Amino acid sequence: MSCDDVQLAVSLRADGELPTGPATEALDEHLATCAVCRDFAGDVQRIRSQLRVEAVDHAPDLGPAVITRLRAPAGDATHPGRIALARERRVRAGRRRPTVAAAIALVAGAAAGGTFVGIGTEPPSPAAADVPDLVMDAQHDVTTLESRLRITEAGATGAGGAAEQAGEARTFAADLSYRAPESLALHIRETTPGRPDAERDAGDLVVDGDTWWQRRSRRCRPAAGLVRCPDDAVTWVRSVTGREPFSSAAPTPLDLVIPVGSFTLAAEPAALGTTTVAGHRTVGVAVTAAQVSPLIEGLSSALDLRPVHPTDEVELWLDDRHLVPLALVVRAADSAERQHWARSVGAIESAGDTILTVTTTTARVNEGVGPGAFEPPPGEPSSSLDAGFRDVPAGDAALAAAPVPAKLPDDFRAHRSGTVVTPGGPTVAVRSWSDGRAWLTVRATAGWPGGRLFGELGPDVRPVDLGAAGTGYASDDARRLALHTADADLVVSGSVPADRLEAVAADLGIVGLTVPPSWDEAATAGLDEAARALPGLLVAATLDGFGPPSVRVDGAIVTQSHAGAGRRGLTITQRVAPALSPPSAGDEAGVTVRGTAGRYSRQRGELEWTEGDLAVSLRSDSLGLAELLAIADDLERR
Amino acid sequence: MQETDPTLIRAAAAGDLDAFEQIVRAHQQHVWRFLRRLLGDDAAAEDVAQETFLRAFRRLPTFTFQATFSTWLFQVARNAGIDELRARRRREHLADALRPAAAASASRGAGQAGEARVEIDAALAGLPVDLRETLLLVEVLGLRYAEAATVLGVPIGTVKSRMFAARAQLARWARADDGDDRGAGGRGDQGDDPATHGEAGREL
Repeated sequence: MSCDDVQLAVSLRADGELPTGPATEALDEHLATCAVCRDFAGDVQRIRSQLRVEAVDHAPDLGPAVITRLRAPAGDATHPGRIALARERRVRAGRRRPTVAAAIALVAGAAAGGTFVGIGTEPPSPAAADVPDLVMDAQHDVTTLESRLRITEAGATGAGGAAEQAGEARTFAADLSYRAPESLALHIRETTPGRPDAERDAGDLVVDGDTWWQRRSRRCRPAAGLVRCPDDAVTWVRSVTGREPFSSAAPTPLDLVIPVGSFTLAAEPAALGTTTVAGHRTVGVAVTAAQVSPLIEGLSSALDLRPVHPTDEVELWLDDRHLVPLALVVRAADSAERQHWARSVGAIESAGDTILTVTTTTARVNEGVGPGAFEPPPGEPSSSLDAGFRDVPAGDAALAAAPVPAKLPDDFRAHRSGTVVTPGGPTVAVRSWSDGRAWLTVRATAGWPGGRLFGELGPDVRPVDLGAAGTGYASDDARRLALHTADADLVVSGSVPADRLEAVAADLGIVGLTVPPSWDEAATAGLDEAARALPGLLVAATLDGFGPPSVRVDGAIVTQSHAGAGRRGLTITQRVAPALSPPSAGDEAGVTVRGTAGRYSRQRGELEWTEGDLAVSLRSDSLGLAELLAIADDLERR
Repeated sequence: MQETDPTLIRAAAAGDLDAFEQIVRAHQQHVWRFLRRLLGDDAAAEDVAQETFLRAFRRLPTFTFQATFSTWLFQVARNAGIDELRARRRREHLADALRPAAAASASRGAGQAGEARVEIDAALAGLPVDLRETLLLVEVLGLRYAEAATVLGVPIGTVKSRMFAARAQLARWARADDGDDRGAGGRGDQGDDPATHGEAGREL
């Protein structure tokens, strides 16, 4: 027996995991003669006694605190029976300074010219696991927001031809004003130190009522070898009038106010603890850039920020009462496909580098907005568009096609209503309701030409049983629900959870029909039907953080699409095939999937393998290989 | 460790908070002891222990009685502990990201200064997390290898080799410390502090 073998055996015996037999005799013989191994055996006992002796007594009694927190409604800050967290008690007792919170508050508070509230006297923050539900609830309670943000981006060349010096860090100041339900102004100014004013970029987005403006001023800085810019600075102003309420064509980045889109369908996020930002207590969650893309892209709606990869790690810190996002840090993910992407967009950074930081220096929630907050930006629009919406009073006969739900969710009030006419398209009646930042619309038309569902639900829809109201079709992100009837086609949209949307659709007093066989959505199916078409079908039965699949059966090909929070999503395609088709992207690499040999193309974000007599493809433009492999592992035969 | 009454578990799963409080009292000491060693911080251990029981309550309806209840609960505790370690790392990152560059190193040093730690805690903190958690499950909670393997979601052989590696590393440090000044930082051997901290950091 070698010393290594003996010491392993000593370790096993200490834990009662060494079978008795000849080995134990050999072990004792060796120990009798080898001082090194005897010492090791002594160390094992010493470690044990240190660990066990010190681990006794003064365990706190957790029962009352746990039970009180379970009794308190989630996020209820005023519950009288709350029990402070141990960390807070420690801070109050002055035993240790909250270094992280203090450091952030120092930066944030100093910049704001104000003081910050310490974390000592506040009630406990909600658990990170509750954040998705709390965000959905909080959207009803925000009326106004005024905040000032500081944005730092690093390590990338600029997009859109305005190439930056590689690796240069840029800073921006942003002012955000919001008034419920959909008035929003975002002004971003570059503040990079040492850059002349004339070379600084600026961008504005203003949305108010039926108008929408964008103004960009971006100086073109050609990189070596690129063509020169036509002008030194490019400034343009775009305007849209006749904008529909909550239009997706002229979007309002409402996730900057409360990130509903980033947390619809979200799984329980990982917790980062609590800290103080700009005087607000925040709860932190770890998510991905794909999940919070409505937020990041929301900022870019005023001024293009550097690109981030969908799998990049994001820390998001939300006000623990209002759930307003107050700080966001994006770090480069660590994967081969991420590196490849970075090269393709000219970004220079290593895994773990902080590439984008957004912090709030001041934030005032529900305290009103200043006069003139939603004034249009200066300058004559270089392009303007009339989106065709005209306000019509809610009782007008012109809106007859759009029924009013018999029962709206509590506290929803009528917002704008009207008709919209697009050239060559049918006349659409629109009604909307809102409660804080939460909104609902019903759009309907009697003149839909057919072929596919009205309402731009996307290719992946899911039939929904609405009981007495017949059949509806839900978009995969659960934000739109379409109904087809003999006289009209309707779509119900909103920022509320899917079950609320379904309840509203079921209360419209109409009965949805299944779509005619010639329509695109006729190929949608349930999983049972799909499994009959393709025996041995693999399904993601336990997929956390994604909605139920939208299933299509096209002949012998079954496609299941799952949407998740923000831009997260994946598609599983299966067909009978003895082998995979020849690689087409050219960058396929071999990987082990579900214990078998498969391949992965990072260009297409596609994982492929064969199983039984099926060829399976798992594809996503928002999830990395590691997550795809984990999802593949959890697939089950239907 | 005494096994928990299934009736109590079913009642708690159905929402009976009195039943759940009995469960908390029966298990809190073990959970706290494990977390305290894992996290190296009493107050954080108390918070995470609370979080463990909150999560356990939410997930009770999914408990299937296939494992023993304590094994299942330690799984929840272990995951909560690992989340806290990750969160701690990220909080440090966030502080770095938001802090003026000059202040960063000074303030980080201040957070650790003056904290006298017992020798074994310092040695534990230097162990990579996978070795540390395995050692604690077996040594502090007295789990069998098979139970620890279930909690950690690894094969028994991995528990075996991690236990040995953890002990070997602790023993090596203990020896290197005899006659060496702990405060000097380097211990002049392969398992010295900075390298091991780096390794633990990467795992998270």
